[in-house]
Amino acid sequence: MKGLVLLLMVSVAGWCQSPQDALKQGEQVFAKSCATGYCHGAKGTASGAPRLAGRGFNQAYINNVVTRGISGTGMPSFATTLSRPDLTEVVAYVATLNGVANPDTGSDNAADAAPALTGEAARGAQLFKEAARGFGRCSTCHEVDGLGISVAAPIEQVPASVAALKALATPNVKTGAMNGESMPVLVLKDGKQSTLFYDLTSAPPVQRNVLPGSVKFTDGSSWRHSSAIASYSDAELDAILAYLRAVIRP
Amino acid sequence: MIGRMRFTLLSILFTISSALAQDAGATRADWPHYGGTQFSWRYSALDQINTNNVKALTPAWMFQTGDYAENLQATPIVQDGVMYLITARARVFALNAATGREIWNYRYPEPPRSVPGFVGNRGVAVGDGKVFFGTKDNNVVALDQKTGRLLWRVSVDDAHQCGCNINAAPLVVKDKVIVGGTNGDGAHRGYITAFSTKTGRLAWRWYVIPGPGEKGNETWKGDSWRFGGGAPWLTGSYDPALNLVFWGTGNAAADFYDADRVPAGADKSKDVNLYTASVVALDADTGKLRWHHQEVHDDQWDFDSAYEVLLMDREIRGRMRQVLVHMNKSGMTSVLDRATGELLGVFDVAEVRTWVTGITEDGKLVGRNEPQLGKTTTICPSAAGAKSWNSMAYSPRTGLLYVPVLELCEDITPNNAPPEEGQNYMNGDFPLKLAPGRTTYSHVDAWDPVTGKRAWTVPYKYLLLASMLATAGDLVFTGNPEGEFFALDAKTGNKLWSYQTGAGHRGSSVSYAVNGRQFIATSTGWHVSVVGAAAQGLFPDQDWRLGSTLVVFALPEGSR
Repeated sequence: MKGLVLLLMVSVAGWCQSPQDALKQGEQVFAKSCATGYCHGAKGTASGAPRLAGRGFNQAYINNVVTRGISGTGMPSFATTLSRPDLTEVVAYVATLNGVANPDTGSDNAADAAPALTGEAARGAQLFKEAARGFGRCSTCHEVDGLGISVAAPIEQVPASVAALKALATPNVKTGAMNGESMPVLVLKDGKQSTLFYDLTSAPPVQRNVLPGSVKFTDGSSWRHSSAIASYSDAELDAILAYLRAVIRP
Repeated sequence: MIGRMRFTLLSILFTISSALAQDAGATRADWPHYGGTQFSWRYSALDQINTNNVKALTPAWMFQTGDYAENLQATPIVQDGVMYLITARARVFALNAATGREIWNYRYPEPPRSVPGFVGNRGVAVGDGKVFFGTKDNNVVALDQKTGRLLWRVSVDDAHQCGCNINAAPLVVKDKVIVGGTNGDGAHRGYITAFSTKTGRLAWRWYVIPGPGEKGNETWKGDSWRFGGGAPWLTGSYDPALNLVFWGTGNAAADFYDADRVPAGADKSKDVNLYTASVVALDADTGKLRWHHQEVHDDQWDFDSAYEVLLMDREIRGRMRQVLVHMNKSGMTSVLDRATGELLGVFDVAEVRTWVTGITEDGKLVGRNEPQLGKTTTICPSAAGAKSWNSMAYSPRTGLLYVPVLELCEDITPNNAPPEEGQNYMNGDFPLKLAPGRTTYSHVDAWDPVTGKRAWTVPYKYLLLASMLATAGDLVFTGNPEGEFFALDAKTGNKLWSYQTGAGHRGSSVSYAVNGRQFIATSTGWHVSVVGAAAQGLFPDQDWRLGSTLVVFALPEGSR
């Protein structure tokens, strides 16, 4: 299931979009990763690093440089720092700056493009990851649509109502007893070499690694999902549910 | 007579307290913290290696990290004969500090998805029997100091959303480990976060930018506080007597265009966009703000105040003061009373300056040369800084600060693009260029923080982007991009020794001793991101070599 969710994520992020969208995405990747001012300038102008627009570069050359970097210069390899779709799109974008009319954007599946979120769902998406809430936001523990920290298992079923969301059963959360202290925990691994778990005493959760046998787990805990989402009003939680329904497909 | 005796007693007490003050910031056998001690002097009281014998300094051992794709910027930490070193990709090593033999290593797993920001790490912190570090995917990690075993890790923020990560060494204060983060040039709201060293649980967080209803929020236009930058991306200092943590904050975002963040009618001679471009004092236990000093009101030049904070006690105008010295990226350096934040003096280290026509003694900017929308303005110093992140050093023997100064300019063309969370929000192009009419573009300076006068300066053709180290042997060490690691006479600036390490320097050297033998250790390996890339672009005929090797020097065995 996790693999499926991941696949869905990747496809939303890059593969299934029109060439126009891909180039737009490429322009954005360029703006954040290349045109940082310290390096290239906006739209391929010169800045700290040389001009890229109108240099007669073909797409294969651009791909080669972006993937491998240029040894001995400031141009690094982006092979590991950019995702595959981002890399393809930014290469295509730079190709258009060099007069390549229809660069390969890796987007041959335009029909499946995910619709943009609107209304309540769009507001829910913002609330889900709202930075001003600090660690009181959903994305402190949940990764959805490529954003957030995947402490909890991927969300597969969206609760039917705010009441259900608050009363959410969390059988995975157990109680760990260690050094005379007891804490709500999410066990990741209880193996021979090490015991790995999330300590949920306070947000953000802390991943802890202890010697086997040094912590004792028992079922049940004092932890409640309703406390974790206490920074949201019911109306806000409604919007978040609308968002989750829009992006999580069973 | 009684009066005179009292005076003598007082003088004795005074001498003792200033002797203590002289000691407080010096390291000895260990190099326990990023800045040496938590007073951040980068000064070692060891004097076995000194001006008389430095010519004999020779490599004792080297350690190749194997993490060659990037560089080595870290300040090594040394405690009880063990060195703790971290590479760009967060591979952590514990080494026998006398021989370089590996004791343990730990590899932080590569994040499953690419994260924004450059790959680099400026050091670990050691305390409470643990080794702490930050990661490019925004985790704070604790390892067992003896075994290198993972103890805990906690996610500080979602790097994909905030566009931020942690390159700086953490600061361990009592039972807490404290970190800042990057992306002060992005649509992000910076913060400093403290975690329990024991459990990794959140202790406190202080947002650089106050939220609605908090004092200082009124210095922001509308909801611009949400994306106003200010990220404190380096390491702070700590004074145990005051129980205060001192930290420098990043510039306001958008960097070069202020109309969307400055309230109508704001007085730019006073605080604007708090608490960006400031030095702040926080209660170490609670993270509550005690005082602040904003160095650049309404910054429009990417002049962060994120750099190191030096704490020292010096006599100023006849009175012993608890002093804090802090350089803004512009080169403007503030001398403050660290108990109160009172400004005691200001001096400027840049030789070429066009961003203002003057700076008054009380820190007021005169003739602000602000970038204008639709125009291109030449500004010096550049956004690379009159100094970059690499630290200065301070010697209590000479009373001087040792500062690597850059002389670069840039052509700023602002734009008014709207913010997008976590994304670059500099709002301008600023191609760097060499300051006109010069043949050298950096210099090592010695500055007296009390008089604000420069004692000496040594020019260098290219750019100095490695930290300084001062020692009681009256030596000042640093390295250059060409690979040369060298020692200057702390009193005169005369070059006394140099060694070609084979790769460019962007790290931070330290000194320590094992079994009575003094060592000088330096990270080597040029870095091609951010200022390193810009620097390389200014000198296209140069081939500054990458690498990731720690080189450790000592006097030959038996020569002592």
